[in-house]
Amino acid sequence: MQRLIGFLFLAVTSFGVIAQEEPFQTVITPAFSPITWDRLVNADAEPENWLMYSGTLSSQRYSRLNQITTANVDELELKWAYQIPVIDRAETVPLVVDGIMFITEAPSNLVAVDARTGGIYWRYDHEMPDDILICCGRNNRGVAILGETLFMSTLDARLVALDARTGNVLWNVAVADYKAGYSKTAAPLIVKDKVVTGIAGGEFGIRGFIDAYDAATGERVWRTYTIPGEGEPGNESWAGDSWKTGGAATWITGSYDPDLNLVYWGTGNPGPDWNGDVREGDNLYSDSAMALNGDTGELVWHFQFTPHDVHDYDSIQVPILADINYQGSQRKVMMWANRNAFYYTIDRETGRFLVGKPYAAQTWAQGLDVNGRPIRVPGMEPTYEGVLVSPPIVGGTNWYSPGFSQDTGYFYVTAFDGEQEFFKRDEDYEEGQRYTGGGGRYTQPMDAFHSSIRAIDPATAEIVWEFPIQPRSSAGITTTAGGLVFTGSADGFFFALNARTGEELWHMSLGARVHAAPMTFAVDGKQYVTIASGNVVYTFGLRD
Amino acid sequence: MGLNAKSWWRGVFALGALSLTTFNLPANAEDGGNLYNTDYDVAQGRSYFERQCSRCHGFDAKGNDETGAPDLTGRLNRASSDVGIFNILRNGIAGTAMLPVPETLPDTLVWQLVAFVNSLSADPANIVLPGSIAAGADLFTGKGACNACHMISGKGGRLGPDLTFVGDRRSPEELVADLIMPNQDVEPRWWRLRITGRDGITREGFRMNESSFSLRIMDEDDNLWSYANNQIANYERIEDSTMPSYAQTLTDSEVDDLVAFLFSLRKEN
Ligand code: HEC
Ligand code: HEC
Repeated sequence: MQRLIGFLFLAVTSFGVIAQEEPFQTVITPAFSPITWDRLVNADAEPENWLMYSGTLSSQRYSRLNQITTANVDELELKWAYQIPVIDRAETVPLVVDGIMFITEAPSNLVAVDARTGGIYWRYDHEMPDDILICCGRNNRGVAILGETLFMSTLDARLVALDARTGNVLWNVAVADYKAGYSKTAAPLIVKDKVVTGIAGGEFGIRGFIDAYDAATGERVWRTYTIPGEGEPGNESWAGDSWKTGGAATWITGSYDPDLNLVYWGTGNPGPDWNGDVREGDNLYSDSAMALNGDTGELVWHFQFTPHDVHDYDSIQVPILADINYQGSQRKVMMWANRNAFYYTIDRETGRFLVGKPYAAQTWAQGLDVNGRPIRVPGMEPTYEGVLVSPPIVGGTNWYSPGFSQDTGYFYVTAFDGEQEFFKRDEDYEEGQRYTGGGGRYTQPMDAFHSSIRAIDPATAEIVWEFPIQPRSSAGITTTAGGLVFTGSADGFFFALNARTGEELWHMSLGARVHAAPMTFAVDGKQYVTIASGNVVYTFGLRD
Repeated sequence: MGLNAKSWWRGVFALGALSLTTFNLPANAEDGGNLYNTDYDVAQGRSYFERQCSRCHGFDAKGNDETGAPDLTGRLNRASSDVGIFNILRNGIAGTAMLPVPETLPDTLVWQLVAFVNSLSADPANIVLPGSIAAGADLFTGKGACNACHMISGKGGRLGPDLTFVGDRRSPEELVADLIMPNQDVEPRWWRLRITGRDGITREGFRMNESSFSLRIMDEDDNLWSYANNQIANYERIEDSTMPSYAQTLTDSEVDDLVAFLFSLRKEN
């Protein structure tokens, strides 16, 4: 009898405790609601959600959430952590849609969790062939959403559509042949009723392209090659047949301007990377920004940052779109800190160069001419013996997202000041084999170099402030209306800076390299920030 | 360099002559595995390596911190025979970025890669050095007083790298350079930081870790210190070595003896 009473007593108390501690015992609303194109266009108006890889179609990574501010950011504490089961590096930027977070994992998996607790709803494990060729790691950086469907790129060069409520596969189409070295790692971009997506494989002698697929059926609507074919303008900028294996991959997510109906996308290096002898000419449209008509994919303008590149200075950066005051008038611009160590402000209606300057150590160009074309320093091409050049192959920056704040008007970039010996090799193209024609070698330990977060005024291209961190950071940046810049470091810190001054306000050691960009969202009126480090996705919030 | 040149060149000469013997020995007596071991095979292996492997392991195969790919020019951790290397290449190393070579890659080419990886490090057993190991051991704790700074098998100081298995990671040529040109290529772990705190006190020590938000050093009395950035008024880096050059204080034959001793400090001995 004694025993039975004890048992009952325990059962009742534990029930009582649960009821008290559950924060959402009163009103429970279902999570998730369909994402219309209208909601995507106005994504900045619902800052509680993070609806695409770069936050909004303009890719500013600026959130209007202002609960976490310069005054209270030092009260951030860990709310939950999600451990990715496959051990690889996490480059994911999750989406949040009405309380559900979608996290991509290496190599090409997806998990849907409760954004408040990290508790799992469902997961999708993509079946992968075992003979894929990959250039630079088994990564996936995120998904796109339209309606109730998620769209994901996979390493085996496919595009998969998944039901956002269950993870069921709606369609799964081949974008290119993975056996020829094509692969896909970037989050797609939704443009109206289409899924726009790029391709990786620039080290395998591919011919790059940007594709659009019908979101409902997976049928391809248009394809624009980043290298013009025979008879098309620009094809003459490649010697002989070199255009066929010229690379110019498109492995990061672009941006979209709904008023101009233009899709902006960066292109990668010409191939082979370091031996330009076999591809004399400017090699259009490698290392360029391409502006395409959103309905047809037709090229409207292009801007080539590095003509005839021989240093692997990909223009695989996320273009940031904003309207700024430039020399007394309001201009629609595109901001771009390039891997070649120059920062550019470009008129995004016409593609005209406005202003540009180096933002990181560089020795390969004397500067930019009035059209933004680099004036090269002679003798900086790779040789058989090796030539010391800044920036090194990894660049002044790289694929990791920059940010822009609507409050300060500054552009923020993770910059690297380094140098490397570049050399070339003679190589023949073989399908499915790496085709790079050389490489690079550090002559000093990594510790001898520097990384910094730099704030740039887009009207002048001048650096306003910098915050030094250990090399070599590959973390992206997010800004908020709380006056904050969030980013991470190579030595495993997640930290917040004052967006106006660069002053450090908070940092936390997460113990493993940050390869991803942070994002911010809110559930039940509470703001959170999320960042992936190592194989873990961490979510922080203010003390309750 | 002028002062050191004599003993430097002598060191290289002696070793150059010796490494010729290595070439004449039958390769891989134990497993009899690799039939593709000529200079031509090594060159084929190298060209494949530069194309497919160098992006992680480096063109010089010395490894790369960022990719986590190890140095392949010294003793390997996971293979002690040709067959062992072959298996790593065919199967990859599970759970790491070291993936298998494509299944379609012919065995011949895999063996040529094995030959190339082997060519990166001469088999130490075939290297005969002019110095005396016993005399080197005496110098280490005697006249050289190296043990004031270095440990071997748990005995010695903490003011330099542990040398217990230094023969596995340094070639005889490199050991000569370590002794006579210590300021060349000092590893960042052995740089020093001179830190002045907000309290006005300055401390100097080995750079155990310099992170984005804090610093850690060990001073010359073996004290460990950790500074948060907001405790630091300013700090500087010193990238020279604290080890003296022995070009003047040791004779050529003493350097030979020390190198013979240091090179004998390998796992298999
Ligand atoms: C994507 C990067 C990457 C590429 C490409 C790569 N490796 Fe590796 N390799 C690694 C890593 C990382 C390790 C260490 C794995 C571990 O032990 O944790 C490794 C280990 C090894 C080892 C074992 C080393 C030891 O000390 O036992 C050998 C041998 C090797 N790699 C050879 C090669 C060859 C030959 C190629 C080209 C066919 C190659 N690797 C391509 C990353 C790479
Ligand atoms: C005052 C302290 C000090 C003394 C005495 C000293 N060393 Fe060193 N040694 C160092 C330090 C510090 C380094 C690491 C920096 C560098 O590479 O010079 C080093 C590096 C080395 C290395 C390279 C080790 C590696 O792993 O790369 C060798 C070999 C070496 N010392 C041998 C000797 C020998 C032999 C003696 C005696 C003749 C000696 N050292 C005396 C401090 C010392």
